[in-house]
Amino acid sequence: MKTGKTVTIQPPAPNEDKPEARDAMGRPVTQRKSEVRLGREVQARIGQQLRAMYDEVVSEGVPQHISDLVRRLSDRDDGAA
Amino acid sequence: MKLDPAIRDQVLATVPSLRAFAISLCGNIDRADDLVQETLLRALAHIDSFQPGTNMPAWLFTILRNLFRSEYRKRRREVEDADGRYAETLKSHPEQTGRVEFSEFRAALAKLPSEQREALILVGASGFSYEDAAAICGCAVGTIKSRVNRARTRLADLLAIDSVDDFGPDRATRAVLAGGGRS
Repeated sequence: MKTGKTVTIQPPAPNEDKPEARDAMGRPVTQRKSEVRLGREVQARIGQQLRAMYDEVVSEGVPQHISDLVRRLSDRDDGAA
Repeated sequence: MKLDPAIRDQVLATVPSLRAFAISLCGNIDRADDLVQETLLRALAHIDSFQPGTNMPAWLFTILRNLFRSEYRKRRREVEDADGRYAETLKSHPEQTGRVEFSEFRAALAKLPSEQREALILVGASGFSYEDAAAICGCAVGTIKSRVNRARTRLADLLAIDSVDDFGPDRATRAVLAGGGRS
């Protein structure tokens, strides 16, 4: 029985260790270009959705109580700096 | 001394965007409005530290974000899982968080770690540069970039977008709205 055995914990294998089909030039056979294109499309849609959600609030403008507050505070004679 | 009206107008002009940012952080309109109000009180009390000609939105966003963070930390002591609580808020009061139309998207957004969410909003919705967003969040530009990237990847996964047709917030809701409900 071996004693003092060193246990080496392997870090998770990076992606390149995954067996992947490759063409004659050693490039991955998966359709990289369309994946990238799809990725861009998806990202563009996420961006649109994000802005639409955000702009919905922006379009509400300045609520009355906030605008009153800012005007009140900025008209105040504020001696103390 | 009264506040320069030009500065006041810059503050007011930033409010709509500041609210949108606050809502995306809090997930709740009432809390968001409190946060905006507190931000403005603080900003106007320290308006001397704003240098005219510099970026007013970035200045106000920084103040709001810092206030939110300190409140968030306080709340975290009360409720361990602040993010879970945020998601819960969304679930129980969807009507407080905007139109139902965005509920699916908001729910996905709520599942992101808060640092990724804020980075994505600042860059992707508020339209800040990576540099400004980094200044607002007090971190390196590279950190913002990686947070934004991780946020986008995660959102795509959560929304399971794998084709254009598949994308769309609450198609069912939309169908209902389109098909019925007309009186």
